Amino acid sequence: MNDKKVVEIKNLVKSYGAKDFQTTVLKGIDLTIYKDDFIAIMGPSGSGKTTLLNILSTIDKPTQGTVMLDGKDVTRISNKELAKLRKDKIGFVFQDYNLLDTMTLQDNIALPLALDGVPARQILERIRELSAAFGIEEQLRKYPYQLSGGQKQRGAVCRALITNPEIIFADEPTGALDSKAGKDLLHCLRRVNESGQATILMVTHDPHSASYAKDVYLLSDGMMKCRIGRGNDRKEFYNRIIDLQTSIGGDFS
Amino acid sequence: MRMLRFSFINFRNGFKSYLSLVLSLSFSILVLYNFQNIIYSEAFAVLGQRNKQYIDMLIQTVSVVLVCFLFFFVWYATNVFLTRRKREIGIYIFMGMSNRKIGSLYMIEISFVGITALLAGVGFGVLFAGLFQLVMGAVSDTEIDVRFGVSYKPVVFTAVSFLTVYLIFALKGYWNIVRSSVLSMISAARQNEYVHRKSQVFIVKAVLGILVLAAGYVLANKGTNQDMLANALLAVVLVIVGVYLLFGGLIPLVFQTLAGRKSFLYSGQRCLWVNQTIFRMRKNYRTYAMVCIIGICSATALATGFAMRERYNNMILFDNQYTFQLLTNQPNLGEQAERLIRGEADIACQTSLEALSVDRDHLVVAYSDVKRAAQEGGLSPIVREPADNETFYLSHQMLLSLIMGNRQIPVTLGDEIFQETEVIRQPYVGYMQKQMGCFYIVSDTAYERLRQKSQTLYIHNYKIADDTDFERARAAIDVLISNTDENYTARVAVNPFDNDLEWIKVLHALCVFMFLVFIVAGGCIMFMKLYNDAFEEKERYLVLKKIGFSSRTLAASVAKELLGAYMLPFVVMTVSAYFSVNALGRMMYTNLFSIYLVSMLVVLGVFALCYILSVAVYRKNVGV
Repeated sequence: MNDKKVVEIKNLVKSYGAKDFQTTVLKGIDLTIYKDDFIAIMGPSGSGKTTLLNILSTIDKPTQGTVMLDGKDVTRISNKELAKLRKDKIGFVFQDYNLLDTMTLQDNIALPLALDGVPARQILERIRELSAAFGIEEQLRKYPYQLSGGQKQRGAVCRALITNPEIIFADEPTGALDSKAGKDLLHCLRRVNESGQATILMVTHDPHSASYAKDVYLLSDGMMKCRIGRGNDRKEFYNRIIDLQTSIGGDFS
Repeated sequence: MRMLRFSFINFRNGFKSYLSLVLSLSFSILVLYNFQNIIYSEAFAVLGQRNKQYIDMLIQTVSVVLVCFLFFFVWYATNVFLTRRKREIGIYIFMGMSNRKIGSLYMIEISFVGITALLAGVGFGVLFAGLFQLVMGAVSDTEIDVRFGVSYKPVVFTAVSFLTVYLIFALKGYWNIVRSSVLSMISAARQNEYVHRKSQVFIVKAVLGILVLAAGYVLANKGTNQDMLANALLAVVLVIVGVYLLFGGLIPLVFQTLAGRKSFLYSGQRCLWVNQTIFRMRKNYRTYAMVCIIGICSATALATGFAMRERYNNMILFDNQYTFQLLTNQPNLGEQAERLIRGEADIACQTSLEALSVDRDHLVVAYSDVKRAAQEGGLSPIVREPADNETFYLSHQMLLSLIMGNRQIPVTLGDEIFQETEVIRQPYVGYMQKQMGCFYIVSDTAYERLRQKSQTLYIHNYKIADDTDFERARAAIDVLISNTDENYTARVAVNPFDNDLEWIKVLHALCVFMFLVFIVAGGCIMFMKLYNDAFEEKERYLVLKKIGFSSRTLAASVAKELLGAYMLPFVVMTVSAYFSVNALGRMMYTNLFSIYLVSMLVVLGVFALCYILSVAVYRKNVGV
C-alpha cells in the first residue's frame, strides 16, 4: 500500500433541516484513502452514500468535521480554490455519463486540459494513450448520441483521467450499463488503478461492481459499519460482500 | 371553465418565461398603434390638406409594412414558444388528456399572452402617443399639433391587425399539437440540432451563397440606366437568398473546419463555444439570416430617409434660388423691375440672362451667359462648354429618379439637330427651369448661329433678402405683367412660406423610425432566441459545473458564444448594407456613406445592449 494520503476524513457530520427538525445523515465518518486505493462504498438507500460523495466532491459542505484533500481542508478554502481543486485534483464519473452532446467524444475528453491551457499536441497525445487503454480509439470522432452506453462511460472515465487527478470519484458508474458493458468498464477501472494511474472511490449499490475494488466500506445509518478487503479472489470477495449485505439488511437497490 | 382556470394558473406561474414574448409583441403593437394614431390624431393637419394626405398615405404604407413584419415576427415568436412549451404540456398526455385538449390548453394559454401583450402594447402606446408625436415632429423638423387623447380607430385597427395575425398562429400551434405524436411532444425541446454534416454539402452551399450574394451586390450597383429598378429588385432577392445560403453553408463550414483543427480548438474556452455554436447553428442560422436581412433593411430605410431629406433640402434650395423671375421680350425691363422690388424689399442677389426662343418648345441659353449668371447667383459653375453640336438640358431636382448616367439624345433646336449629352440640375434659370422644362445650354458659337433665326427673350432673376417682404414685393412687380404681341412679360414668384413639400420631411422621420423599429426588432429576435436557448442549455452547464469547471470559465465561454451569435449577422449585415446603401445613393444621386456608417454604429449600439442583456439573462438561466 502507498503511504501517501489522498483523502482524509475525520469525524464528518452532515445534518439537514432547522434546529428542532434536524436529520443527521452522516454521523461522524472517519476514512482515509491512500494513493492507488480502489475503494467501493456500499450502503442501503438513505445510508448517506451520495451525501458523502457530494461532500468529498466539494459540491456540498459538512456540518462538522474535516475533509483533507491533497493536504488541504476543503471545508475551509474559498470557492475559487475549491473550483481549482475540483478541476486539478478530482476526476468525476457519473452514472449518466454527463458527456456534452454538443461535441465529439475526443473534444469531450480534451475539454478539461483545453480549458487549462495545455498545448494541443500534449492533449492529443494524452487522448491517444487513454483511448487506447479504454478501447475507444475508433469512437473518438463520434458524437455521444452515436455511442453505446459502455463507450460513453469509458469516454467519461477518460475525461476524468486526462488531468491526472489525485482521485476519481465514481458515482454508480455501471448503473446505466448492461452487464457486459459494466464488466468491461470495471475491468478498465481496475487496470488503470493497478497500473498506478488512478486512485478511485466508487459509490455503488451493486456487489458485483464493488467486488472489483480493493476495499469495500459499508455505510449504514450514516456510519461506516465495516470494511472488507478483497484478498486474491474476486469471486470469493463478491460472496463475502453479499453475506455482509444480508447481515446488515436494508434496501441496497 | 376548468381548462380556462388551469391555463390561467399556468400562464401566471410561467409568466417569467412568457415575459420575453410578451415584451417583444407589445413593442410591435406599440409601434403599430403609434403610427396609426398619427393619422387619426390630426397632428399633421396643420401642414395643410395636401401634406396631410401624403403623410396619411405614407403612414398607411408604413403600417402595411409593419403588419407584414408583425406577421413574420409573431410566426417566429410563437414557433420558438411552441417548441419550448410542447415538451412541458406534452406531459399532460400522461394525465389522460387528449391532444385536442392539450391543443385547447395551449390556445387558451397563448391567448392570455396575446391579450396581455395587446393590452400592454396599446396601453403604453396611448401613454407614449404624445411623446411619439413630439419626437416625430422634432425628427422631421415640422410644426405639428400634438394632441393627447385616445381615438378608438387606431386602437381598433391595431387590435384587429394583431389579433388576426395572432389567431392564425395560435390556430397553427393548436393544429400542430393535435397532429403531434406523444413522443415528438415530449422530446420537442430536446431535439438535437446537429449540423455536423458532410463538408461537401456546406461547400456547395457556401460557394452558391458567395456567388449569389456577389451577384446581388454587383447587380445592385450596376449602372445600366432604366434597368436600375429591375436590377434593384432582383438584387434584393439575390441578397436574401445569398444571406440564407451563407449562414446555412459558409458559416457552419468555417466553424466545422475550425473544430477539426485541434491546435485551434484546444485553446481556452474555444472547445466549448465553437462546438456549442456548431451545435446550435442548424436552428439558429435562419435566425441569424433573418436578423441580418432585417439589419440590411433597416440601414437602407435610414439611408432612404436621409437621402429623401437631402433631396428635400435640394428641392427647396432649387425652388427658392430666386424669389421673382421675369421672362420678357423687352430688352430694358430689368432696371424697372429692380426699382419696383427695391421699393418694397432689399435684393440679396440678382442675375440676368438672355434666351433664344428657337421654336415653340425650346429655349436656348448660351454657355458663357449661364456661366456668368451662375457666378452671380452663387451656384456651382458648369463643368465644361458644350461642343458645337452638343447641348445640355437644364432639369430640376427630383425626389426619386431611376434614370442613371449620361444619355445621348438627339434634340432639334430650331432647325438644327444637337446631341443632348448632359442633364444639369443646378437652378441656373431658377424655378422657371423646373416649371417650363424647356431650357437647353449650347455653346456660344451655336448660340450666335441660332440667334439669326430666333426671337430673343430676357430673363431677370431676383432673390429678396427678407422673406417677410414677399407679398408686398410681388404686388409691386405684378404691374409689369403683360401678354400682347409686342409686349410680352411673364412673372414667376416663389413663395418662401410655401410648405407643399413638408411631407417629405415626415417621410424622413418615418424612415428613421422604421430603422429603429427594425433594428430593435432584430435585437429582440436575437435576445428571444438566446433566452430560449439558455433554458435548453441549463442541463449542459450543470454537467460542466459538476465536472469541475468554475463559473468564471463558463461565464467567459457564454460571453464568447453569444458574442459570436451577435457578431455573425452584424458582419454580414455590415458588408451587405454597404452595397445596398451605395446602390440607393447612386439611385438618389447622393453619397450616403456617412449615413451608412451612422446606421451601422447605431446597429452596433443596439446589438451591444442586447448582447449585454443576453449574456446576463443567459448566465442567470444556465446558473453560471
